Amino acid sequence: MQKYYYTNGVTTFGPFTLEELIKEHISRDTKVWFQELSEWQPAGNVPELSVLFKDTPPPYTYTANPPASTTEPVTAEPFNGAPPKSWLTESILVTLFCCLPFGIVGIVHAAKVESRFYARDYDGAFKASEEAKKWTTLGFWLGLVVGIIYLVVVIFAAVVNRH
Amino acid sequence: MDSVWFPKCPFRALTGLKCPGCGSQRAIHYLLNLDIQSAFKENALLVISIPYIITGFVFDCLRHHTPRLLKWRKALFGVKAIWIIFVLVVGFWILRN
Repeated sequence: MQKYYYTNGVTTFGPFTLEELIKEHISRDTKVWFQELSEWQPAGNVPELSVLFKDTPPPYTYTANPPASTTEPVTAEPFNGAPPKSWLTESILVTLFCCLPFGIVGIVHAAKVESRFYARDYDGAFKASEEAKKWTTLGFWLGLVVGIIYLVVVIFAAVVNRH
Repeated sequence: MDSVWFPKCPFRALTGLKCPGCGSQRAIHYLLNLDIQSAFKENALLVISIPYIITGFVFDCLRHHTPRLLKWRKALFGVKAIWIIFVLVVGFWILRN
């Protein structure tokens, strides 16, 4: 049985059987190696691995947010392989502390960021991230403003009562 | 325990029902006093979400993504996890009233 290896430029992963390698969801640009290859090659260039990408559209270059140049230009996925910021943790905090409706809208948009990213809709994921940010920060500031207004009213009432 | 210095929940003032965030300030107060049991009574959702939120921030800060890290990230903060949270928040909201 052929054993395959792949690398992210720093760490080498493997050995994998072909079935296991399929489950790793590597990209066309991920460097792979197995016994027959003289050197590491992008997985997309290896005919034996074409089964990995039969359902994968050709590479899509994301331009709006170029990743910072790193020493390992291995993955072609934007955002360094992880989805854009989903604002999930912030949304939960907003839900619990200041503004429940906007926090919940934030959580729903966080779900969209994740689902779109893993459906390879990077543009849509980026837009959902922006939406999540908008609602979460709106909820945060609204909560803060309402809190401050409330505080002012309380102080005002206390001063009036004293006189 | 009740302090006039903290705003009351507008949802509770209007409907008399508790929202998922009600009691979170009191829960934090108890947590700062290391009284986890009382904090749990005030707002159980807040207490259980704290470790999760801290983990989330740690994951947000990690810049180097190994496949293993990405797998964990997807399991803990992926779309399924988010829907579970959504159901938890809404379920907590209904059940506490």
